Parts: sequence; C-alpha cells; structure tokens
Amino acid sequence: MRDAIVIGSGISGMVTAIKLAEAGVHVLLASPFPSERSQSVMAAGGINAVMSRHEEGDSVSAHIEDTLKGGCYLAGEEAVKGLCESAEEIIEYLEGIGVVFSVDEAGRPARRAVGGHSYRRTCYCGSSTGKQIVSALVMEARRLEAAGLIKRALGKCFHSALIKDGVCYGALFFDEAFGNISAEYTDVVVVATGGQNALFGKTTGSTQCDGYTAGELFMQGVELKNLEFVQFHPTTIETSQKRMLVSEAARGEGGRLFYMDNGERVYFMEEKYGPKGNLMPRDIVSREIYSAGKDVFLDVSFLKDSDIESRLPEVRDLCKKYIGIDIAKEPIPVAPSVHFFMGGIAVHKNHETNIRDLFAVGECASMYHGANRLGGNSLLAAVHSGMIAAREIAGRDTKEDRPDFSSAAEEANRMLDKMKDTKSVFPVMYIRDMASETMNKSMGIIRSEESINEGIKDIDYYLSVAERLSYDNSVLPYFNYSLTGILTLARAALSCAESRKESRGAHYRSDHPDTLDDYAAATVISYENGQYKVRFDKENEYES
Amino acid sequence: MKVRILRQQTPFSEPYWEVFDADVSGDTSVAGLLNYLNYHDDIVDENGRQTTRIGWECSCLQGMCGSCAMVINDVPRLACDTFVRDLGNEISIRPLQKFPVIHDLLTDRSSIYENLKKQNVYIEKYQPDTIKNRKKAEKEHQHQYDAAKCLKCGLCLEVCPNYVNGQSFFGAVFANDCYLVSSRNSEKKAEIKKLYGEHFGSTCSKSLSCMDVCPMNIPTIASMAKLNK
Ligand SMILES: Cc1cc2nc3c(=O)[nH]c(=O)nc-3n(C[C@H](O)[C@H](O)[C@H](O)COP(=O)(O)OP(=O)(O)OC[C@H]3O[C@@H](n4cnc5c(N)ncnc54)[C@H](O)[C@@H]3O)c2cc1C
Ligand code: SF4
Ligand code: FES
Repeated sequence: MRDAIVIGSGISGMVTAIKLAEAGVHVLLASPFPSERSQSVMAAGGINAVMSRHEEGDSVSAHIEDTLKGGCYLAGEEAVKGLCESAEEIIEYLEGIGVVFSVDEAGRPARRAVGGHSYRRTCYCGSSTGKQIVSALVMEARRLEAAGLIKRALGKCFHSALIKDGVCYGALFFDEAFGNISAEYTDVVVVATGGQNALFGKTTGSTQCDGYTAGELFMQGVELKNLEFVQFHPTTIETSQKRMLVSEAARGEGGRLFYMDNGERVYFMEEKYGPKGNLMPRDIVSREIYSAGKDVFLDVSFLKDSDIESRLPEVRDLCKKYIGIDIAKEPIPVAPSVHFFMGGIAVHKNHETNIRDLFAVGECASMYHGANRLGGNSLLAAVHSGMIAAREIAGRDTKEDRPDFSSAAEEANRMLDKMKDTKSVFPVMYIRDMASETMNKSMGIIRSEESINEGIKDIDYYLSVAERLSYDNSVLPYFNYSLTGILTLARAALSCAESRKESRGAHYRSDHPDTLDDYAAATVISYENGQYKVRFDKENEYES
Repeated sequence: MKVRILRQQTPFSEPYWEVFDADVSGDTSVAGLLNYLNYHDDIVDENGRQTTRIGWECSCLQGMCGSCAMVINDVPRLACDTFVRDLGNEISIRPLQKFPVIHDLLTDRSSIYENLKKQNVYIEKYQPDTIKNRKKAEKEHQHQYDAAKCLKCGLCLEVCPNYVNGQSFFGAVFANDCYLVSSRNSEKKAEIKKLYGEHFGSTCSKSLSCMDVCPMNIPTIASMAKLNK
C-alpha cells in the first residue's frame, strides 16, 4: 500500500493515520481545523478496559456482555469481542505514547465506575480524558509528520468521494484557502468525521460534527446503519450557545431529580424506581424527564459544601459560569439533549464500507454500540476502529490504475460557481435550524408514526427548497453545498425510525412500546434513484 | 449595547470597523452574541444598513478547544468563555493581531504547529525517570496534566511582548509542550532543554502576561523553572 487519505483528525482519524504511517503508508490527514478543535477533546469521563489488574470478579467477557446488553443485543458479537479484547493493549499503547492518565498507588492507570458497567473498569485522565488522549496523539502524529509520512492538510472540507464501479479512488475537497474544489487521488480513503450533531442543532458536542460526509456518501451509494439510535443525555443545561452536559457524577454523588407540582417537589425517579431511581440508565431517565412535561431540576444543594468542592468542582464551575447558578444553594434546571450517535456508516468488521477501499472509523461508523452506547466505550471504539482499519489497509495492494476523475472536479467547481452566481439573502443556516427543529420534534426521545411522518414531510420540503435555494454568500461555500447532504441524512434517519416499529434501547416508539424479536437485527438503509430503502440485516451481512 | 467589530473580507483586503446594536442578557457569551448578530434576523449595522455575516470559528462552545480565540475589549480571550455581564455597554471585538487574518475574526494559527513540528517536539515514548518507581516518577503528574491541556489557542502569543509570527521566539505554547516532552521522556531531556533555550528561554523577558490570559491556567512559570534547571 502506497498512500491513503484520512478525512477527519479527531482521535479515530489520528490513530488511523499514525498506524498507517508506522506501516510505511503515506497519509494525507485532511480536516478543516487542527485536531485540538475536534469533538474528541470534549470527552470527559473515560475509556473502558478490563486490565490484568482488574477489579475482583471482572473479566473481558463481562465487559463484552455489558456492551452487548447495553446495546440491546443489536451489535455484532464478534466485533464487540474484538473491541473489548483489545482494550488493555489500547490503554498500554496510549500510556506508552505519553497520555497523562490518572494513576493509582502503583502508578498505573486508575479506574472509576461508570453507569451500565457491572464493574469499575473505566480508565480516565482527571476530567479531560479526551483532551489528554488528543494531546498525546497529536505529538505522535507530529513525529510521523516530521518523518514525512503524515501530511496534514488543514482547511480542507470533504466534498465527495471519487467512486467508480464500486471502488473508491480518492475524494474531492473544498479548500478554504483557495476557495475551490480539487481532487486528491489515493489507494484508500478512511472517513473519520465524527457524529451527526447538526441534525439536531444544539447538542452537547461540537459544531463541526455535521453528518455531511455520511449524507453525501449515502447519496453516492454507501449504505448507512442504525440511524434511529440517537443517545440523549438526561441532564444538560441550556445556555445561549449550546446544551452543556452536567456530568453523571452529580447523580452518582446523590443528586435528586424533581419537578414542582402545586408548590411541592415531586421526586419522580425515586417515586417510580425506588431510592436508586436517579441513577437509572440514560435512556430511561431521559424518557421520564420528557414525559414529566414540566421543568425538571437536579438538586445537589443538600450535599456538604466540602463534598461539592471536592467531588463536583466541574459541575459547580459550569453552572456558575454559564447559567449563574450556585449549585450549593439552588437546584439546576436540566433537560435531556442529543449526545451520541450509535448509527452511521455501515462497515464490515474490518471497517470497510460496501464500497471497496472506502473505510469509516470512529463515531461516524456504526459498529459496536447497537441500540445504545455505554459510557467510555466510544473513545475505546475510536482508537480500536482506527487500529483495525489501518491493519487491514496496510496489507492491501497499491492500485495499479487510477481512472481519470478530472471532469468530476471540474463539474463540482462549475456547480459551485453556478451557485455563487445566484446571490441570496436567505441564509442556509435558517434551513438547517428549521430542519433541526423538525428532527427534535419528530425524532426526539419519544417517537410515533405520526411524528415521524410529519418529520418526513417537512424534511422532504426542505430538500426541495435546498435544491432551488440561491447561494448564501455570507457563509463559507461549504455550508452551502453541504445542506443537501445533511438534509438527506436527516431524511434517512427518519426512514430508519419509521421502519423500526418497536422500542429498543434509545429508540422509543409510543405506538410500539415493546421490544419485538422480529426486529432483532440492525437497520440498513440505502439510496437508490432518490428512494430510501430500508432492510433489517438478519443475515448479519455487516458482521463479517 | 454597542458592539464594534474589526472586519476584513479576505486575507488581502483592508480591515474596517463596523458597529452593531445588540440586546442580549448578561449571561450571554461573546459566542452567543456573535450568533445573535448573525442569525436573530437580517444582519444590519447600527444605521440599519444590510451587511454580511460575521466570520468566526467555533467547535466546542465551552472553552475546551481554543477555536474562538479573539481580542475582546483589548484582552485576548475565548469568545465562548467570555460573558457580556463582564464587558460593559460597549464591546469591541477584533481578530488576533499576531497571526494573518483569513476572514473577519478567523486567523491562520498554523505557525504554532509548524514551530513544534520543525523542532521535533514530541514525546515518542513515555519513559519516567525511575521506571522502577513509577509512583515517584508521577510526582509531576498534575503539572504534566496541566501542560497537556494546552489548547494551542495562541492567546499567550497574542499578549506576549516578544512574540512575532515567523521569527525564532516561539512563546509559552512552545515552552509548555517542551516541558511535557522532557518530563515524560527522560531520554529527550537534554535535547529539548537546548531547543527550549534557543526558542524561548534566552529571549523571554518574564512579563508573564501569557499566564494571565491562558484559559487553561497552565503554570508556564513552573514549566520554565523545570526547563531552566
Ligand atoms: C461532551 C461529550 C463528552 C463525551 N465523553 C465521553 C467519554 O467520557 N467517554 C467516551 O468514550 N466517549 C465520550 N464522548 C464521545 C466521544 O468523545 C466521541 O465519540 C469520539 O471522540 C469521536 O471521535 P472521532 O474521532 O470519531 O470524531 P471527532 O473527534 O468528532 O472528529 C471528527 C473530525 O472530522 C472532521 N470533520 C468533520 N466534518 C468534516 C468534513 N466535512 N470534512 C473534513 N473533515 C471533517 C472534524 O474537523 C474532526 O477533525 C463524549 C462526547 C461528548 C460530546
Ligand atoms: S499555553 Fe494557554 S494561552 Fe497558550 S496556547 Fe496553550 S492554552 Fe492557549
Ligand atoms: S469554541 Fe471551543 S473554545 Fe470556544
């Protein structure tokens, strides 16, 4: 293998690039912004691994079982096995490249307890695990940049893939510095562009994760999977700029959820689920908050000031800074928000898509989390998937012939120029906002045939408008050309949600509240001549 | 309130000030304020004249990624982490001046990465001083953790009296990465100390303004003490 392009430079993209470069492959690592700006830096809680020095009773098979169970048995067993079995090696690798893990008395990575896990097995770096991992990976990538094996291309936004007869030969990128679209040819393309936050507007994550890449690839024939499974985090605060996560630690330390009814506090989680009710899994708490239909608060004010100081300093600072609330005195107004996407690009066990030489890794790919993700498993999956893809790619042959795609770049530039010729004051961001409002309504915590069909109608309308929309010259060209891809992805997600007429994990249908054996398979969606075709992967096509 | 913003359409065009009226609550951050100006309605200046939307960069919107570094009321800060309540009734916003402007408040900070790459500032392999006693080697743990939190935002360079883009003094951001490498890999200590001296230690006039503006509160002075030893 001679060269590869990795698109996206968060944790999964960097790991892929590093491992490929170590195998002698020349990598172009393309992203609009440096790795320090990726969503990966926001991960706080930790990364799971059952190490040889595990907690009494814990085992790799227990981690596998917890992951499969958390995902409501929708994730592939083989893939999850691979993920959990490689976890110890991954922590050792990360430590070896200098990640500053929090350590125990023996100086080894310490572990904390995280919801959904039967044992304490989450390694962490204070309250900034993702950032600490990114910092070390950036240094590793820098080493290989200096060695001439990785070339970082900043200011490059994905436009489309160069695909011919089911094989990928490279990608088109919009270059912010030059203001035009150009082609990059290669042996293999790896997509590592993160989640689909833009579908829902304000989320807990980064504004850079817009799902455009998945949407555009879908239109180019790449299959997507499990798009209906969107994880909501139950306790987030609303600020003028985004929704911010109030760590689960607040409930772990005894925090109580309540709403007011006739001047009285109703501790609804405890009433329904008993004294440990506040600590129920994320999807259940989110649904209960939503169903309460009232403003919900999280109270930790009864804790001793010294406990808040020592155990919840981040929560205290966050609330003080962004909503002016002193958590030692007042309850925190909370509501659920979109937090993570279990669904994404469908990949085989080696992380290749249904298009040859086109791979997907990290949160943009759907593989390990089934219908719901356990905390600490996505950082693990981001690293693991990068390693798996790199191993597979490094063993492949260099492409002998490369078709000429120069007309594709010309055509893309011509389309962009044509757009630019029709100036408009109608901002694309308004359509994105309206679409996200639709998605929150129709594909929120509780869905129904009716809400989903309304959503489909709205998104179809926005899609028809998007095609006629004139160019909005007040934002980067990327925001203009990405609109259709983002809306198409939204439409595909609605189709998946419509087809799954049951409730499972993060997907809850009020008209089909039970889990049904008939649907015990992943949802796969493809796009053919403008049609959205959904099937259930009962043959486990994507498990191999 | 009045919001003055220094604008520039392209890297090569002339900058100009534009003034906007805004009505937002004190808990709004400058990031929220920019969003308000851009999208609450058609964007118009204080005289009601239609203008273009303001270009700026963001990602995490909660002070964790360094994207939104700019100069607010003459202080280099993160827009998403600076609040209207602390800014008075007249707010001025301009791009970082030490880096080339791409568009409005967006700047090209690639020199930060280039400097680190050219000088081979990377850990390569975690090798604590005393492998036998990792616990002891971890006594610098908190300092290493703090240094690894650097956002590469460039605020420390904006405020530094000695930093000039493209020259050989690389600023606090460089010093802290040097500290991290030397403390995590004892074999590289000597080499890194030399680089640190050339590109930081010998020129730093210790105004330490870099520490005042660092959004991560990185103790640069402690990094310097370790590397000067
Ligand atoms: C607040 C928060 C806390 C979290 N905490 C945890 C935790 O404790 N443990 C855990 O396991 N997980 C956690 N997660 C989830 C985890 O952080 C992510 O799943 C993981 O970091 C994803 O990494 P990634 O490399 O796939 O994508 P990202 O880090 O999102 O990187 C995506 C990259 O793609 C680039 N990109 C995007 N679009 C384009 C385009 N069109 N063209 C080119 N490049 C593009 C971006 O610039 C970026 O470089 C958390 C998430 C959030 C939001
Ligand atoms: S040292 Fe502080 S101010 Fe300088 S780049 Fe790092 S985080 Fe920003
Ligand atoms: S947007 Fe990340 S620091 Fe402001």
